[in-house]
Amino acid sequence: MDDFFIIVIVFLLLNIALGLVRLLRGPTVADRLLSTQLFGTAGMAILMVLAGYMEDLTLLNVVITFNVLSILLVICLVQVWKKKKGDTP
Amino acid sequence: MSVVIDILMAILLIYLALRCMLAPELSKTIFTFFAFGLTLALAWIRLEAVDVAIAEAAIASGFMGVLLLDSLRDFSYALSKNPKNLELPENFTIKESNKSLLLPRLALGIGFVIFLLISMEATWKTPEGGGLTAVSEELLPQSGVEHPVTAVLLNFRAYDTWLEIGVILMGLLAIFAAGGVKNYRKPSMTAVDPLLRQVILFFIPVLFLFGAFLLYFGKTGPGGAFQAAVLWGSIGILFHLGGWPIFAMIPRKLRQFLLTMGLGSFLILGFLLMAAGGAMFEYPPAYAGILILIAETLAAISIAVALTAIYVYLTK
Repeated sequence: MDDFFIIVIVFLLLNIALGLVRLLRGPTVADRLLSTQLFGTAGMAILMVLAGYMEDLTLLNVVITFNVLSILLVICLVQVWKKKKGDTP
Repeated sequence: MSVVIDILMAILLIYLALRCMLAPELSKTIFTFFAFGLTLALAWIRLEAVDVAIAEAAIASGFMGVLLLDSLRDFSYALSKNPKNLELPENFTIKESNKSLLLPRLALGIGFVIFLLISMEATWKTPEGGGLTAVSEELLPQSGVEHPVTAVLLNFRAYDTWLEIGVILMGLLAIFAAGGVKNYRKPSMTAVDPLLRQVILFFIPVLFLFGAFLLYFGKTGPGGAFQAAVLWGSIGILFHLGGWPIFAMIPRKLRQFLLTMGLGSFLILGFLLMAAGGAMFEYPPAYAGILILIAETLAAISIAVALTAIYVYLTK
C-alpha cells in the first residue's frame, strides 16, 4: 500500500512540474493564475495522499486552509484587475 | 522509497526558487513565487512541521498573494499610463566612484566565511538528545496545552510571541506613516457583480468557522493564533474586495483598540502574573489552558484587524 501512495504522490508532483509550462509561458496574468490554482489543487491532493502515507490526519487542516484561501486570489484577480469591458486581464 | 518524493520535491523547490529569482517579467516572478510557496508547504509537511506548513499555506498563498497581485497591477498600470514612471529620471547619472572596492569586497568575503563557519559549527554541535526537546516534553503537562509547539510558543517562550505581535503592529505603523504616496490615481472599483458578492458572502462564514477551529485546535494539534488570524484577516480583505469598506466603517477609537488589543492583553497578563508573585509569563498550571486561550483569541483578533489594515492601506 505504501508503494501505491508513493507512486500517486510522484505522479501528482510530476503533474505540478508539467503545469509549470503554462505558468512560465502563459501570456496573460489569468493563464498564470489558473495554473497556480491547478498547483493548489494538485498540492491539496498530494497533501491528502501524504496524510494517508504519513498516517497524520492533522495534515487535512493544511488542505482545508489551502482550500478556503484559494478563493481569495481568484476574487482578487477578478476585482483588482478589472478594467474596461473587453479587456483581458 | 519515500526518498524519491523528497528528492523530487527538493529539485522542484530549488528550480522554482531559481526561476523566481531569474524571471525577466514581474508577473512570472510573482506566480512562480506562489508555486514556490505551495512546494515549500509540502516540504514543511515532509519535515513534519505541520504548524509551519499551515502558516506558509495561509500567508504565502492567501495574504501575500493578494498584496503581490495588487502591486503587480499597480506596476503595470503605472507603466501603461506613463512608462517613465518606473524609469530613472533623465538627469540621473550613476556617479563613478573612485574609491577602491577592495575593502567592501574583503568585508563581504570575511562575512561569508564567518557565516559558513558559524553554520558549520551549529550543525556539528547538535546537542545530545535533541537540545531542549526532552525538557519541554517533560514540562508539557504543566503548560496547560497538549501540543508541544503551542506550549513553547505561548507558555515557555511567550515573551517572543508577545514581541512578534508587536512587530506586526510596528509594520502597520510604518505603513500608516508612509501610506498614500502615489503619483497616480487608481480607478475606483465601485461596480461589483452581484454574483461575486454572493460568492464572498458564502465564503466569509466558512473562513470564520475554520479560523475559530484552528484557534481552538491549537491546544491539541497544529494550528493557533497566527494561522487563525490570517483566515480571519482574509475575511476583512474579502469584504473590501466585495466593495464593503468595513475597516473604514469601524469608529476610529474602536479600530485603535482592536489593533492594540493583542499586544496590550499580553502585557496586562504578564504584569498581573508578576503581581501575583511569578515571573512575567509564568502561568499557574491550573489556569494555564484558559489563560492561553484568552490571550490567543485576543491576539488573533488583533492580528486579523492588522492584516486587514495593511491590505486596506497598501491598496487604497
